[in-house]
Amino acid sequence: MKKITYETLKETLYYDELDNGLKVFLLSKEGFSKTYGMFTTHFGSVDTTFIPPNEDKMITVPDGVAHFLEHKMFDISKGDASELFAKLSASTNAFTSSSRTAYLFNTTANEYECIELLLDFVQEECLDEKSIEKEKGIINQEIGMYDDDPDWRCYFGSISNLYKTHPVKIDIAGTVETVRQIDKSILEKCYRTFYHPSNMMLFIIGNIDPNKAMNLIIENQNQKSFNKQTPIIRKEIKEPREVFQSYEELRMDVVMPKIIVSMKINEILKEGKEKIKREMAFNLLLDILFSKSSSLYEEWLNEGIINDSFSANFTQERDYAFLQIGGDTKSPELLREKINDLFSHIKDYKINEVDFIRNKKKIIGLLINMFNSPESIANIFTRYYFEDIMAFDLIDIINDTSLDDIYSLYDLFDINMISTFIVKSK
Amino acid sequence: MENTFDMKGYKLHLIKTKKFKNITISLRLQNELKKEESTIRTLLTFVLIASTKKYPSTKELAAYLDEMYGARLSNHITTKGKSQIMQLYLGCVNENYLPQKESLIEKQIELINNLFYKPNIINEGFDEKIVELKKKELKERLQASKDDKFSYSLEQLFEYMGRDSVLGIKSTGYEEEIDKITSQDLYKYLIKCIQEDTKHLYVVGDIDDSIVELFHKHLSFPEHQNSYESSYQFKSNKPEILEVIETQDITQAKLNMGYTIDCDYLSSSHYAFTVFNAYFGGFSQSRLFQVVREENSLCYYVSSSYDAFNGIMIVNLGIEDRDYQKARDLIEHELHEIQSGHINNETLEIAKGMLSNALRKTDDEPGSIIAIQYNRDICQMTQTNEQYLEGLMNVTKEEIIEVANKVKLDTVYLLTGKETL
Repeated sequence: MKKITYETLKETLYYDELDNGLKVFLLSKEGFSKTYGMFTTHFGSVDTTFIPPNEDKMITVPDGVAHFLEHKMFDISKGDASELFAKLSASTNAFTSSSRTAYLFNTTANEYECIELLLDFVQEECLDEKSIEKEKGIINQEIGMYDDDPDWRCYFGSISNLYKTHPVKIDIAGTVETVRQIDKSILEKCYRTFYHPSNMMLFIIGNIDPNKAMNLIIENQNQKSFNKQTPIIRKEIKEPREVFQSYEELRMDVVMPKIIVSMKINEILKEGKEKIKREMAFNLLLDILFSKSSSLYEEWLNEGIINDSFSANFTQERDYAFLQIGGDTKSPELLREKINDLFSHIKDYKINEVDFIRNKKKIIGLLINMFNSPESIANIFTRYYFEDIMAFDLIDIINDTSLDDIYSLYDLFDINMISTFIVKSK
Repeated sequence: MENTFDMKGYKLHLIKTKKFKNITISLRLQNELKKEESTIRTLLTFVLIASTKKYPSTKELAAYLDEMYGARLSNHITTKGKSQIMQLYLGCVNENYLPQKESLIEKQIELINNLFYKPNIINEGFDEKIVELKKKELKERLQASKDDKFSYSLEQLFEYMGRDSVLGIKSTGYEEEIDKITSQDLYKYLIKCIQEDTKHLYVVGDIDDSIVELFHKHLSFPEHQNSYESSYQFKSNKPEILEVIETQDITQAKLNMGYTIDCDYLSSSHYAFTVFNAYFGGFSQSRLFQVVREENSLCYYVSSSYDAFNGIMIVNLGIEDRDYQKARDLIEHELHEIQSGHINNETLEIAKGMLSNALRKTDDEPGSIIAIQYNRDICQMTQTNEQYLEGLMNVTKEEIIEVANKVKLDTVYLLTGKETL
């Protein structure tokens, strides 16, 4: 077991890669009552075309399959995994994002039993046709819940606008139609492809003794046998440079209109360190441009075209990246114009040194605060890990970001890559 | 872990712990929840933190906070039964974690003083420009929250269930009242809060008693003898169950059911009711989740919640329009099962275990530590988490059956996509 101590954060991380390829990370939080465990596979809603192990042809599975599998993993031979956690006085949950599926527990008792249970239930495949059919009703209600949520519709609509072929344009849960197509053999194929330990990582944080936890995890894994697996081959997605559509509006039963202006970024970085540097630089730039202490925010606020729901975000995953800017507004068209105007003249936008340093300090403060919450640490660590990035380095990276790093982002702004999604009342 | 100090005009609670990398301060101001004041109090929570004399615009105040490593300043309105509470939060990074040591905590305490005593006042009123902006923001927020059908349908349930009583008062105010409020009214109302509200101030983090001196130096309020009621039992005078069905253009129907329970935070049966609710619909192993979701696949979310300060219970779920009667029958059947004594021992033990986990983990979040302590403080209750937990663990099956038999369906509110009946 190896160990790294992060002086500024006063945290020590223990880690190891086991013989079967599973990566394990352990962080002991002194004084905390809670332990939080997260077992993640690098399999998300966009992984719909790939070669299953021991086969030689690409297959395409229905949209929403990663999320469906997440629901069904709780069925185990001993019954229901949630119930077993509950018997240990622990609660459990799971979520699926575009790039990964995570299973988690939180507990204030029986920590080591919970770690074992987390490993055991995710590593047991126990799919049953009847139960798969039954789950469809539940998932359709989940889809229905999101369908009625104007914020979600606007968020997702603004992503769908950008992509012609990339599966990130499809909602994580899929649609009622694609969910209907999912069956046992499809789920099994996905499980066998993506749930091999070498495609997974385990992060445990909280009231634990790292040595004891690591020994227990090694022993647990040694009792199970896994076939050697060759690296997973996912289909390379051929996404054209252009946006799918530059405008779309949706009429819903709402009073307050919503808008998101999104911008597609085609220049995708491969190397983890470069990616994270870009992400931190973007966070800084967006804060300098749009946070409450910026001149633009004040101007737009005084003109009445934004309110405090206004926000700006940068997202990047394996093979796509985009910006999203927007919020609730009575004048979506005007806000759209303003953002378009800003982006088409971004090269003229000079950043002043004082704003730059102030926003740097703010982001450093927010990152330190994040290290108060075991959930946040586990989430952020896992998300960056699959991009080959250690989240603990974020503060140093922000510190090292220069004004030139920010100016170099201006090259990524392209007015032809902008799209708008508006939710309006009927 | 907690020390309490009687300060001038407020109680100061210090919760010392080394486990957090920041220091959290929360000042809570309590007054009676009144229909005619609920809007102005909500508007004040927005205006109060928008600017000060020294930082007279949102931009300047935000820049000041950013400069202090993204120090927090936020303000929320909430209710606790018969009281309306303004919850002011400030926070900053503990200086030990900063690249250059810089004491931020004293600046934050001074900022509280500035919010109340050096506000941005022009001609006996808050700066008109800011007030206008905040009025617009509040209106837009109330509209956006109506567009969230989950919270809208819950608000509607409270409105119908609590008509002409404190339960029916909107804690975040009324859209049509906003424009009637002037900058001068708001300033007068701030002075009233300073003079008449009951105040508790909490500090959580790696601090010592020397911080008390800083509070002596920078913060005091006028002393008064007012005290305000919070927890109570909602009583209904409806001759029969009120059923309200509203149609909107939505995909999923939202079903909300409100119950009277003859129990509240102050009752001796509070422990038993807490366990009953956990068993009935508080967690994913509870009866409602197991029966309505797992066995019948009718919904994605379903739960019951116990509002201990209003003395009521709410059940809510999202379903297909056509499943309304079936879902409602299943819920009523599960309640009836418990009332007639059919309680599964294993599920009961699980419910207690889940309550214990939920309570113990609040210890790891500054906001939750304060929230739990505040509930006790406004009810003048002295109790530790361990004592509370012991009370929960000792609840018997008989006690659960007893509280379950006091549960009575009062109002059903269904927001549906089609005409169901």
